[in-house]
Amino acid sequence: MFWRMLVGALVRQRRRMLMVALTIALGTSLSTAMLNVMLDVGDKVNRELKAYGANITVIPKSASVLKDLYGIEAGPGAAGQYLAEADLGKIKTIFWAHNIVTFAPFLENKTVLGQGGREVTLVGTWFDHSLELPTGEVAETGVRPLKTWWQVEGGWVKDDDPRGAMVGSLLASSAGLRTGDDFEITPPGGAGKERLTIRGIVSSGGSEDEQIFVPLATAQKLAGLPGKVGRIEVSAITTPENDLARRAAQNPKSLSLKDWETWYCTAYVSAIAYQIEEAVAGSRAKPIRQVAESEGVILQKTQLLMLLITVLSLIGSALGISNLLIAGVMERSREIGLLKALGATDGAILWQNLAEAVAAGIAGGGAGYFSGLGFAQVIGRSVFGSAVAVNAMVIPLVAVLVILVILAGSLPAVRMLLSLRPAEVLHGR
Amino acid sequence: MTKYAMFGKLVIHALLRRRSRILVALLAVATGATILSGLITIYYDVPRQMGREFRSYGANLLFIPAGSNQMLLADDLARAGGLLPRDKVIGIAPYLYERVKVNEQPLMAAGTIFKEVRNVSPYWHIRGQWPEKADGIVVGAEVAELLKLELGQKITLAVAHASTEKTLTVEGIVRTGGQEENFVFTDLALLQQLLNKEGQLSIAQASIMATEDELTALSRNVAQNVAGVSPRLVKRVTQSEGQVLGKLQALVYLVTIIILLLTLICAATTMMAVVTERRKEIGLKKALGAENSGIIREFLGEGLVLGGLGGAIGTVLGFFFAQAVSLNVFGRAISFQPFIALVAFVVSIGVSGLACLIPVKIAIDVEPAIVLRGE
Amino acid sequence: MMSLLALRDISKIYGSVKALQNINLTVQRGEWLSIMGPSGSGKTTLMNIIGCMDKASGGTAILDGVDISTLNSQGLTAIRRDKIGLVFQQFHLIPYLTALENVMVAQYYHSMPDEQEAMAALERVGLKERAKHLPSQLSGGEQQRVCIARALINYPMLILADEPTGNLDEANESIVLGLFQQLHREGHTIITVTHDPEVAELTERCIILEHGRIADQRKSRPISGAGAGA
Repeated sequence: MFWRMLVGALVRQRRRMLMVALTIALGTSLSTAMLNVMLDVGDKVNRELKAYGANITVIPKSASVLKDLYGIEAGPGAAGQYLAEADLGKIKTIFWAHNIVTFAPFLENKTVLGQGGREVTLVGTWFDHSLELPTGEVAETGVRPLKTWWQVEGGWVKDDDPRGAMVGSLLASSAGLRTGDDFEITPPGGAGKERLTIRGIVSSGGSEDEQIFVPLATAQKLAGLPGKVGRIEVSAITTPENDLARRAAQNPKSLSLKDWETWYCTAYVSAIAYQIEEAVAGSRAKPIRQVAESEGVILQKTQLLMLLITVLSLIGSALGISNLLIAGVMERSREIGLLKALGATDGAILWQNLAEAVAAGIAGGGAGYFSGLGFAQVIGRSVFGSAVAVNAMVIPLVAVLVILVILAGSLPAVRMLLSLRPAEVLHGR
Repeated sequence: MTKYAMFGKLVIHALLRRRSRILVALLAVATGATILSGLITIYYDVPRQMGREFRSYGANLLFIPAGSNQMLLADDLARAGGLLPRDKVIGIAPYLYERVKVNEQPLMAAGTIFKEVRNVSPYWHIRGQWPEKADGIVVGAEVAELLKLELGQKITLAVAHASTEKTLTVEGIVRTGGQEENFVFTDLALLQQLLNKEGQLSIAQASIMATEDELTALSRNVAQNVAGVSPRLVKRVTQSEGQVLGKLQALVYLVTIIILLLTLICAATTMMAVVTERRKEIGLKKALGAENSGIIREFLGEGLVLGGLGGAIGTVLGFFFAQAVSLNVFGRAISFQPFIALVAFVVSIGVSGLACLIPVKIAIDVEPAIVLRGE
Repeated sequence: MMSLLALRDISKIYGSVKALQNINLTVQRGEWLSIMGPSGSGKTTLMNIIGCMDKASGGTAILDGVDISTLNSQGLTAIRRDKIGLVFQQFHLIPYLTALENVMVAQYYHSMPDEQEAMAALERVGLKERAKHLPSQLSGGEQQRVCIARALINYPMLILADEPTGNLDEANESIVLGLFQQLHREGHTIITVTHDPEVAELTERCIILEHGRIADQRKSRPISGAGAGA
C-alpha cells in the first residue's frame, strides 16, 4: 500500500512532483557546476597566470656569478659555463613534465651594431619551436608562447631563417631601423661580420627593447659556441608554496624521507626546479620569486573566493529545496490530516513524504547533475576557452548534500505532523 | 471604508494571518535577495580587490632619466610622484646604481629606500630583516654565497675616487631568483653621500593600482609635465594583469549569472507552491463575483509586499555576506553600494511579483465550480 | 410578471457522462425551491449552471430576463456578482479574514465595502459578537451563518444554497433553516440543494433528479410557523 500511495502521489500529482524535482534539479545543477568549477579553477587560473612568463630560470652552475658580476665572458669551451642544447628536451621528461607549460633557451652575446656603432646584446633563442621529445610527443617551445606580452610589429622570425632578426623597439628607434631593413653586426673579436634582415620590431617594456633577437643557431655560430645555450627560462604550473616547500627551498636534504617524498611529488616550484637540475647536466634552476610568489597569492585568493561563492550557492540551493519541501507539506496538510484520521502513525506519514521527496530527488538530482556539468562547461569554455575537468568527487558530495537537504527540509514537516490534529484540518479550521 | 483600504486589508491579512506559509515564502525571497545582493557586490568589488593582489608582481611603471640625461633628479621624481593619484600608489622605490668594493671585491651596489622596496616588491624573500638604520645593508643571495657573508657580519664598503670606507652590517639576505641576487642594497642617502651624488638617482620603480590604459594616461601626463623624467610601462606586468584580471572578472560574472538564475527560479518555485495552495481561495473569490483582474491585483500586491520585505532583508544580509567574503579573502572591508542595494531590492520585488502571477494566471481560468466542488 | 429563472432543455455532458439531460424548470420570484436526488444525480451540476459557475452544454437558461447560456465567463462573473448569493456545504470562508471581513469581501467585489452594513448582516444572523473572529475560531454553524450573511449582503435576486446543513449538527441546522425561512418570508427567491427530506418539507416545491433527469416534481406543504425542522 505504501508503494501504491507513493506511486499515486508521484503519478497523479505530477505537477507538484515536477516542481519539487525541478527545484532539486536546479539546486543540484548549481552545486555541481559550482563544485566542478571551484575544484578546477586553480588549474585554470594557473594557466592564465602563465601570461607572466617564466617562473624558473635555469643557468649553468658555475657561470652565474662570474658573468653577471664581473662581466667576464668565458672563453669558448670553458667547461660548466654553458648548458647543452641537446639537454633541453629532458626538461619535458621530469616527474612534473605535464606541468611544464613551455620554455625557451637563450644565448647572449655582446656585439657591435653597424660600422663602429655601439655595443648591443645579441640574443639567440627559439622563437616558435616544435621540439620533438624522446617520448615521441611534440612540445611547443620558444619565446612566442613564453612571452605573451611581447608586442611585435612586422612578423616573427622563423627558427630556420639564419638571417632573420628581431630588434627591440628602443634600439630600433635610436638606430633608425625599420622592419625589412638590413643591418650588419660585428662580434667583439672583429671576425665574422654578419648581415641580418629585420623581420619584426619587439616592444616589451623591459630590457628586451634594447636587444637584438636571432635564431639560436645563428647566435651559436657567431659566438663560436655550437650546441650551447646560456640560460633557459621555464614556465611551469605550480602549487602555492607552504611551510614544507619553504623548508625544502632552503635545503632539500634537511627534510625527513617522508617529507622529502611529499615535497618531490608535489608541484612546488622548488620541487620542479630541483627536478630540472637533476635532468639538465651542470645546471642550476632558480625559481623567479616575482612570478612564483605572486602566482601563489593570486591562486589562493581566487580559490578562496570561489570556495566562499560556492558555499553561498550551496546554502542557497539547500534553502531553496527545503523551502519547497516545507511548502509542499503545508499544501498537503489536509491530506495528511486525513491519513492521520484513518489511523496512520506519524512515522508512516513521514516515511511517505520522505519517499516521495527522495523519488523526486533522484530524478531531479540526476537531471540536475548533468545540466550542472553543462553549466560548468559553459563557464570553462567562455572564460578560459577550455573544458572544465569533470571531477568524480562532486557526485558523492552533491548526493550527500541533496539527501541532507531533503532530511532537513522534512524536519519542519515533522514538527507540523506532530502538532496536526486531524479533526481541525478536516474541518477546515 | 474605501475600496483601497479593503484591498490593503486583504493583502495585509493574507500575509499576517498565514504566518508559517508566509515565513516560507519570505525565506525563499530573502535567500534569493541575499545571494543577489551579495554576489553583485562581490562582482563589483573583485576587480578592485584583485587588482590590489596583483600588485605583488611588483613595479608596473618605471621612471628613467629623460633624453640623454644619465641621472634622474630626486626633485623631478618627487614632482612626478605628485602627479600620481595618491590613493592608488602602493609605493615608489628609487634606485641609485654604482660599482663599489665590498671587502675589496668589486660589486654592483644599489642605494634605495627599504620601506618603499618592501611595498613595491613584496615578492622579495628576505632572510634576516629589513634594515632600520642607515648602517644596515641587504645583500643578494649570490653575493652572500660568493663572499661567504652571514647575517650580522660587518663588511667594509668603498667607492672609487673616495678615500672613506664605511663599515656596515649585513642585516638581510635577499632571494628573488632574478638579478637582485647579484646586488648589494644600501641606504639611498648613504650611497648618495659617499658618491657625492646628493639628490641623484638612476631609476625609480613605481607600483600603482591601475589598468594598462590608466597607466598609459598617467605616464603621458608625467612625461608632459616633468621634463627630466621619462616614464615607461612594464608591459609584462601591465598587460598580463589586464589579461588575467579580465578572465577572473569574466569568471565571477558568469558564476554570478548562473547562480542568480538558478536561485531566482528556486525562489520563484517556492512562491509558486505557496500560491498554488490557494486555488480554492481563488475559486471562492471568483464565485463571489471577483473579476480576474481584481484577484490578480490582490495576489500581485501580496507578492510585491513579500518581495519588498524579503528583498530588504536579503539586501542587508547580502552586504554582510560580501563583507565577510572580502574580509576573509582579501583582508579588506568594502563600502556599501546604494545602487547595488537598490538593484537587488527592485529585482527581488520583480521576481516575487512574477512568481505570484504565474500560478494565479494558471488557476484563474479554472471554473470556480470545479475548485469549489466538495473534497 | 416574468419568472425569475427559466431553463429550457438544459443538458451538461462531461466527456461521455451525461450529467444533465433536457432539464426544463421555471422558478417564480419569491419561490423557495428544493432540489433532491441521490448522489451523482446532477444536483450540484444543475446548481452550478444556475449559479453561473459553469456553462451548460446545450439548452437555454434565462435568469432575470438575461440569457446566461450565451454569456462568456466575464459576463457570468458580472451576473454572479450582481444577482446571486451563494451558500456552500463546505462554507468556503477565507481563512485569514475575520467573519466581518469575509462578509466585506463580497461587498468589495460587488461595489464598495461598508463595515456598518456588513455588521448589520452579521447581527441579522446573530453573530454580532463573533464579528472579529477568524473562521478557525468559529463553530460549523457559526461559519455557515457567516456564509449566509455574506450571501445576503449584496441583496441578490436569487440565493443558492448547496447542502447548507450538510455539515451541521441538529441545533445548528435548525438555526440555519430558521434563517432561510425568515428570508423566504421576506420575499427572497431561494433554491436549496439537499438530500434531507425534512429540509425539502420546508420548501414550497421540490424537484427530484435521477440520472440527470427530473424524475418527479411535487408541491410541498407551505409552512408558515417558526421553529420548523426541530
